[in-house]
Amino acid sequence: MDTVFAGLSQGFAVALNPINFFYVIIGCFSGTLIGALPGIGPINGVAILLPIAYSAGLPPESALILLAGIYYGAEYGGRVSSILLNVPGDAGAVFTTLDGNPMAKKGEAGRALSLSAVASFIGGTISVILMTLFGPLLASVAIHFNPSDYVALMVFAFTCLASLVGKNPIKTLLAAVMGLMIASIGIDANTGVARFTFGIPDILAGIDFLVIVIGLFGMGELITLVEHQVTGKLAVLPVGKSFVSWKDLMVTKWVILRCSLLGFFIGVLPGTGASVASAVAYGTEKRIAGKSGESFGTGDIRGLAAPEAANNGSAGGAMVPMLTLGIPGSGTTAILLGALLLFNVTPGPLMFVQRPEIAWGLIASMYIGNIALLIINLPLVGFFARLLTIPQKYLTPLIAVLAFIGVYSVVSNPFDLYMIIGLGVFGWLLRKLGFSLAPVILGVVLGNLFEDNLRRALSISGGDWMILIESGRSIAIYVLTALILFVPPLVSSLRRRAATNAATSEA
Amino acid sequence: MADRIFGSIALVISLIYGFIAFTIIKAPFQYDPLGPEAWPRILSVVAALCCLYIIARPDGQKFKVLGHTLTRIALVVFFLSAYAVLFERLGFIVSTALFCGVLSRMLGATAKQSVLFGIASGILGYGLCAGLLDLNLPTGAIFKNLKLL
Amino acid sequence: MKLNRFAATALLCTSLIAGSAFAATIDKPECVAPAKPGGGFDLTCRIAQTGLKDQLQELMQVTFMPGGIGAVAINMFNTTRTDDPNAIVAFSSGSLLNIATGKYGEWTENDVRWLATAGADFGAVVVRNDSKFKTLAELMDAFKQGESTVVVGAGGSVGSQDWMKAALLIKSIEKDPKKMRYVAYDGGGDAITGLLGGSIEVYFGDVGEMVSHLGTGTMRVLAVMSPDRLPAPFAEIPTTKELGYDAEWTIMRGYYMGKNVSDDAYNAWVEKFKAAYATEEFAKIQKEKGLLPLNMAGKEFDDDVKKRVDRMRGIAKEAGLIQ
Repeated sequence: MDTVFAGLSQGFAVALNPINFFYVIIGCFSGTLIGALPGIGPINGVAILLPIAYSAGLPPESALILLAGIYYGAEYGGRVSSILLNVPGDAGAVFTTLDGNPMAKKGEAGRALSLSAVASFIGGTISVILMTLFGPLLASVAIHFNPSDYVALMVFAFTCLASLVGKNPIKTLLAAVMGLMIASIGIDANTGVARFTFGIPDILAGIDFLVIVIGLFGMGELITLVEHQVTGKLAVLPVGKSFVSWKDLMVTKWVILRCSLLGFFIGVLPGTGASVASAVAYGTEKRIAGKSGESFGTGDIRGLAAPEAANNGSAGGAMVPMLTLGIPGSGTTAILLGALLLFNVTPGPLMFVQRPEIAWGLIASMYIGNIALLIINLPLVGFFARLLTIPQKYLTPLIAVLAFIGVYSVVSNPFDLYMIIGLGVFGWLLRKLGFSLAPVILGVVLGNLFEDNLRRALSISGGDWMILIESGRSIAIYVLTALILFVPPLVSSLRRRAATNAATSEA
Repeated sequence: MADRIFGSIALVISLIYGFIAFTIIKAPFQYDPLGPEAWPRILSVVAALCCLYIIARPDGQKFKVLGHTLTRIALVVFFLSAYAVLFERLGFIVSTALFCGVLSRMLGATAKQSVLFGIASGILGYGLCAGLLDLNLPTGAIFKNLKLL
Repeated sequence: MKLNRFAATALLCTSLIAGSAFAATIDKPECVAPAKPGGGFDLTCRIAQTGLKDQLQELMQVTFMPGGIGAVAINMFNTTRTDDPNAIVAFSSGSLLNIATGKYGEWTENDVRWLATAGADFGAVVVRNDSKFKTLAELMDAFKQGESTVVVGAGGSVGSQDWMKAALLIKSIEKDPKKMRYVAYDGGGDAITGLLGGSIEVYFGDVGEMVSHLGTGTMRVLAVMSPDRLPAPFAEIPTTKELGYDAEWTIMRGYYMGKNVSDDAYNAWVEKFKAAYATEEFAKIQKEKGLLPLNMAGKEFDDDVKKRVDRMRGIAKEAGLIQ
């Protein structure tokens, strides 16, 4: 523990060096801007700005601090377009739209933005603290998480889906299956066989998750806006000077705490990142809320705080396997890992011995970055919220332009532009017919993870299905799944019985 | 009714999906007992059952879109497609200016407003994203050639 | 051939895709990485970008064209940009394997002009430090008992080059690769996690990615799959060949150009690469990016690639991957 504090103080000395501090701030600020563009999340933000940081000839610790700032900034920025425009800023922000956007529509954009900034801050900070204190320990647990444990985790995640049930359970199920079907397009990760690609090279590697999100949500929203405008249903959005209140924080404090931890642990696992973390957090919280969770999806502050705390929690968690083992836990950390190698720094446990100033400087910059982001973001809330006062006739085309920029600038494939338009029409149709899009997204996120890990587990065992319940971890997760499935309804029915009992005894 | 139509279309798609999964997808050899085909097969069956249920018991979801609205929506989809087609050919600035101008005009801006808005969003958007954030946006094949000449 | 080139040029002019097709000087050089930023193709392009800095007038631009494991790019260079004299496209031996197994559809090794190499990497047989296999011979003995006695894994699907490494090694002792217990992970990072966590016993990785793990004492490289011993820090590690197993796997990284690029333009690029190979700077860049020197350009390289694809096709056929 002493080495942790000694290292941390060395790190703060590096990160608080005026020049580096300046880079943290610059990184956070430009990260927020770039993350606010729909489609450009932390992965692409870091990837795009990495060459600039490299060619600017910065010393390695400064460059990495700058990139970490961008990473965190983009994670924060993702919520802006989710809340204001109902267009997810990145993959991890899909679930932020579910309650964030209804709040904005009720005129509480400021409250939503500021609450999400606070939830992000708490999620981010908790995960950095956990990472500093228990990093190596957690990493050793995480690597033992084997394919059958992932299968158990996916079963847990799909159980959360049961809580997303809308008016018609069959439609929810069909929506999820459609998501899974979309995810099955492309080359099979186990046997290399192409599935449902019809010889189109652009989808040989599968449809990019981002394209699906921007298409279903972004373009779908755009068409809905036009429809409402024509039918005169489009009210001018009220922009109150709302802000997060102490009471809001008290209501959501346990939600934020739980989801920060949940997000962090899911982030630590290699292969699962912000999108899985926010999906599971949202579903679990709705489940835990029980009867009162019915307001989820209509602008419930708990439904906003949960995915926000979780996706920032996972950002810190994803750093654990990278810093301790040199294994990237997510797409973004894979790029940070590449950045480390570019600067001739070898990630992994040796980094703390060989280049402590970089390792600890990076960690310290995450603490500073989180605080800086909260300070930068809260005053910007009013500014962002005012974006909603842009008249619809201008805002609607701008949404399309932003979506095009987001999709095109990363991969430069015009095919993706057609894809988002097609998916947009599909998303609009689904919404018109009373389907919820959240299960579709959940299906896409979890589909490949589920199938690949199931088949991986079976290849390891040579076809023996018992491998799925061999480890204690898997069994523990299944028990947890049963709890989340049965306890909330049980509790609420007991409560109801108690209430009726009380009512009858009073009478 | 809308539910039934959608259910039928979805059913046809699930059946095609299932047909491919049951007949075409096959690995030369595999190390897991499921192979590439088992998962899609399960999905197709579940999807088809869901579709049948929706066709049998539609939940009466109304799909009210007036002809007028539908034309507008079709127009927007057309504009978006045109934007996508022109995006690389004309480059970001010109295609964005056209798209923003036309769509804002349709959504109720005056002619002068929409022209100004189109030009502004094309140029500002490019300056901000390509210049400041160094994102990769198409300059347009036309301009590339002009520069070479 | 000539007519073809003429037709393509005409098409090019009308569709206004790129500049003059007749120029032999390279302006606005571009390296296309057929993937998302951050991966191996990105790295390959960065080598050309920094390595040719002194050879080109302008800094080469790196653009990304992901989709279909490189299929989108090869498609593009066979339909619209067949004679773009200013663009090179990154590829790896994985792309060659895709050609050999027909994953790129109609396009074969004869549809592009193979230009030059960026460098090479080699397969590595890796186990956990506390593994019961202390030498490659012990591992091979286990395989001789039965292919399925050992759980092996790598970062690619059946038929990928990661799988090829395992298959070749098993084939070298006359055993059947189809009978092994192979676990396909999503990339090397995931597979290393699987190895450290004990899900798999042997990992077939690359030498380059092991650099950062060598000093940590978590993993051991039993053998490298290179033709000769590698320089430090791998000098102590035996090759599969010297241990008596005919299983060699070179991961080649390089560049190709469109099929109808003029000889002038092609040769101009070849000269640039040959000039760069001669500099110490280029060797330094290769080393920095975790590659080992393998410098070939022009006709010699084109022939070598075609031979490789041919050999891969043979292996794939034998393994039952293609008919």
